[in-house]
Amino acid sequence: MPEEKVKKARRGGLGGILDNFKEVMYGMAAHDMSRYAVRTRASMEHLFILITMGDLIGVPILPPYYSLRLLPYVVPNIATWKRRMLREKDISDAMF
Amino acid sequence: MSLRQVFEQNPNRRYIMFGGKGGLGKTTFSAATAFWLAQQGKRVLVFSVDPQASLTDIFQKDIFGKGAVPIMQNLWAQEIDADKHIKDYQNEIRKKILDMYGFDKVPEEIEDYIQAASAEPAMEESAIFDAVVDIVVKGDYDYYIYDLVPLGHALYYLSMAKVYDEWINKITKLREEMREYETMVSRIKREKETDEDQILTELQYIKQRINASSSILTDKEKTAFFFVVVPEEMIILDTMKAAELFQKFDVPTAGYVVNRVLPPELRTQIVPAYLKNRLEMQSKYIDQINTSLGKQVLAQVPEMERDVTGLAMIEKLANIMYR
Repeated sequence: MPEEKVKKARRGGLGGILDNFKEVMYGMAAHDMSRYAVRTRASMEHLFILITMGDLIGVPILPPYYSLRLLPYVVPNIATWKRRMLREKDISDAMF
Repeated sequence: MSLRQVFEQNPNRRYIMFGGKGGLGKTTFSAATAFWLAQQGKRVLVFSVDPQASLTDIFQKDIFGKGAVPIMQNLWAQEIDADKHIKDYQNEIRKKILDMYGFDKVPEEIEDYIQAASAEPAMEESAIFDAVVDIVVKGDYDYYIYDLVPLGHALYYLSMAKVYDEWINKITKLREEMREYETMVSRIKREKETDEDQILTELQYIKQRINASSSILTDKEKTAFFFVVVPEEMIILDTMKAAELFQKFDVPTAGYVVNRVLPPELRTQIVPAYLKNRLEMQSKYIDQINTSLGKQVLAQVPEMERDVTGLAMIEKLANIMYR
């Protein structure tokens, strides 16, 4: 949307200070929350692919007939999902 | 009550199924019923859900994988070619992937998955299940006659609908939770609403298809399930067990049809000892069937003088069943 872009463009003077202030407040209050939500959403996406396409990494899943219907939508996520599922885990995973 | 009365008094029952152990006459009864209904002026489709279908043999016409083939006026028969259905389905998925991402060819690991999934043993049944949904939701006919697979297999077919239903409910729920997180993020970031989740839409489509099929199987108004029995001990016992299981799946049992009954007039004739023994055995088990099932026994069909194939024999049998 072009209007939104105009809004987001840097303003000078008092407006600029206000924008900066808004961003700082967002960073302090909400950034962590949204980052957490995005991460949870990503984990769930991976869980979802696992329970529908488990066969891809050798986990047999019932019933494959209808999971094929979902395959086209997860194609872009499969590479990252496989990497995440198959990589070695260590304690630092829990920290970040 | 006779079979004819059952049909006449329940004109809403459009989905007719004959179930029983293998080789007792399910296909024969399906064909005869289809023939009789067609003669009454109803548009009838008889179709097979058995990978080893025998409608081709009984109608003496090659109908395998050819869609609904006309047999006579008002009567069509269909045998589903599961392999072809699977191939078409795979191609549809491939095409969708190519279209969505502008690929020239399907990535190798995705292709491997598509191939591996199709090698699953349940794939054939699932494909037939799916093809049946296509057939029945169209609603082009007055009557749909399911030429079913043998009992054990039919139970598997029924339970598949339940498994699918639970599977789809679980993943739909997960998908909806994911959706909540998505909207939460966009709210925090003060972005506009996120795009529609296509996977969720797809899941709802699958769910609706499965429900369409399983609701028919359990619809007391529109569906009639007849058990085929033969007066022999093991078959009676097995059928009773199966009937209980079918009831657990809420399949509406409409009654029982006894097949292969030796003509009673033989009893007054001088017959060899072997046949005499068979006659005595049968009358014992027929009594047993009558006492335990009573009014649920709708017809006793005699052992015919020759096997039932071809329209002339089917007509003869239909006249006996629905006299």
